[in-house]
Amino acid sequence: VSTGTVAEYWEELLTVGLLGTDRRELPSPPEGALADLAADEPRPSPSSRLLQQVAACTAARRAGVLPGPSATVIDPPPPDHRPVTPPEATATWRRIVADWPVLEDEWLLTVTANGWRVSAELIAPLLGRHRTDGVRRARALVAAGPLAQWVADHQPALQGGNGARPDPDAVAALPDLPISPDLLPLVLAPPAESAKVLGARADGEDFARSDLGVLVNLVARMRADALPAVAARLEACVAHSASIGLAHTVADLARLRHRMLTELERR
Amino acid sequence: MGVSGQRWAVEQVFALARRPSIIAGATAAAVPVLWTSLGCDDRAVWGRYRGSSAEPYDVVADHVEVATRCTCPSRVAPCKHALALLLLWARGQVPQSAIGGSAAAWIDSRRSAAVATPTPAPSPAPSTADAPTPPDPPEPSSRDDRVARMAAGLAELDRWLDDRLRTGLTDPALARYSTWDDLAARLVDAQAGGLANRVRRLAGAVGSAPEWHRHVLAEMGVLHLIARAGGRLRELPPGLGDSVAMAAGWQVRQADVLAGVPETDTWLVLGRSDTREDRIEVRRMWIRGERRGRWAMLLSFAAYRQSLDDSVEVGTRFPADLYRYPGTHALRAILGLRHGAPEPAVHPPGASLTEACAAVGSVVADEPWIEHLAFTVSAAPARLGGRWVLADRSGSLPMVASPAELATLLACSGGTPVVITCEWTPSGVRPLTVHLPDRTVDIGPRADPSFVSGGWSVAS
Repeated sequence: VSTGTVAEYWEELLTVGLLGTDRRELPSPPEGALADLAADEPRPSPSSRLLQQVAACTAARRAGVLPGPSATVIDPPPPDHRPVTPPEATATWRRIVADWPVLEDEWLLTVTANGWRVSAELIAPLLGRHRTDGVRRARALVAAGPLAQWVADHQPALQGGNGARPDPDAVAALPDLPISPDLLPLVLAPPAESAKVLGARADGEDFARSDLGVLVNLVARMRADALPAVAARLEACVAHSASIGLAHTVADLARLRHRMLTELERR
Repeated sequence: MGVSGQRWAVEQVFALARRPSIIAGATAAAVPVLWTSLGCDDRAVWGRYRGSSAEPYDVVADHVEVATRCTCPSRVAPCKHALALLLLWARGQVPQSAIGGSAAAWIDSRRSAAVATPTPAPSPAPSTADAPTPPDPPEPSSRDDRVARMAAGLAELDRWLDDRLRTGLTDPALARYSTWDDLAARLVDAQAGGLANRVRRLAGAVGSAPEWHRHVLAEMGVLHLIARAGGRLRELPPGLGDSVAMAAGWQVRQADVLAGVPETDTWLVLGRSDTREDRIEVRRMWIRGERRGRWAMLLSFAAYRQSLDDSVEVGTRFPADLYRYPGTHALRAILGLRHGAPEPAVHPPGASLTEACAAVGSVVADEPWIEHLAFTVSAAPARLGGRWVLADRSGSLPMVASPAELATLLACSGGTPVVITCEWTPSGVRPLTVHLPDRTVDIGPRADPSFVSGGWSVAS
């Protein structure tokens, strides 16, 4: 049975299947295996004959699967010679968006600033996340390079929202985060001082759960070289302190941010 | 006694449900805090459910010779309380204790009846097509009874299909879920849980796409094949008979599989595919032996808030014993002893699309009811007639992929040929993994993180 004949016969079977054998006569099978089957195993009713032929035809079509016509390969994206971010950075981005999204802006800006380009497997999730946020979407397109725009051009679901051009300064700048005046000096303070102040306040139960937001903002913007010391001091917070849970949470953020920046250091 | 009291899998409990709505009710009631006096032994599980009525319901289930009793007013058996009790037991939330009270009396009465009436034989635990194995070996009489029951169910399925084609796919009855669900419930009764699942999936396909009738008619043909072949199991060659029986839902015990001869090889983990089937999330892990080149599929299941097996990771390789379920191609398998730790896999070679089609065709020719097969090809994503295909010099194959999966494939390939592990389905090929020279990218469909526990997810 030739493929073309089976395909044509299948279309005829579909018509009968849709209308039912009460209303439509069954076509004769093409010569060959399908006709032999009908002759070898005759069935008593038109519907059972249709069922038999549908089953045989389906088996033949599926088992006889062949590549279809040739397709035109799509034009590749323009080249991007920047090195791809290391696999650890990809894993860290996933951790960031799951647990500490406050770090994502800095992750993207650091990728760009240090001459990396985003790994290909992150392009779709990045563009998907920032479909409606023009600034972040633009930041992602810069970090991911021409490949990202090329993917978006081929996938309407990943194209941007209103098409408005975001302010280039906003795209390139790390967004400000609100930090309370008493903690503001720690943004630029030396590592030892930041660790000492935050540790003492955690030991003294000076932090409440409601302080988490400002502490997160502080750690997300403090000097990078202070992060290990701050994390270590907060992890050493006295066990009986009511702030211990908060201290460990913020320490986790400090460790993650430090890891993120280390992974993305310029080559 | 037919089978011993090994704990069931959750899927086996769900397979008892007459309707999906009962599964939902049972899941909500399967919370330990709603139960008192819970207990189980190697024959029964029992407890008192504190529902909305003044008096708690006494619930008891015989998990060996599958039967349930509940004092609730529901006329559906098993009711949601009985299923909830079995769910708790399946999850290990029922303590072992000595049976007593009305539960003991009921079990005793069943024992007495069984002694007085040796036939019909007890029915073993229910099953679904891909579900884990049922507890214990049925004795010959039990097996014969089950074969007879399944044969009767398959004959009924074939009559049902015949009736549908008489009136045609445009018959409005076909658009009603109950039309299919009643059939599925009867197939569950006939111990053909695999076919019941397949029928329920088909119900969801009616009207779901412009060309739905193509898929539905073809699947009805496949159901007919299984029904006819299942009615003649004893006449079929052993391998084919096993394949047909498993497609219908016949359970092979894990212990029997593990009692076979292991296939020792270094296994490349080449693809992962998660799909929701009714109320269960199914994970297929596709692995291939480095030495023999044979594919195998590891299955795992998760009901709501359960975890899928993540003990093997795409892009790794490890030496291990593998035990295959019976069948002509015996794709489904269980991992046995591992002989080493996993390490990053080497970049696998990719076949041409023609070679992949030939491999798929040879398996499907032997087992036309197969729904998934894996292959690794070297191809590029391309457009043909308004849809995405995988293409190489020998031609193209249509792809079925979500926008996010397709976008990642595009990004990883840059439109040029890459080595891709795909899953063949009757609707098209689904890309699962992109094997880049320096890394492996798992792009296969992932279980909804709000349904199963564990794993990471990024909104896209």
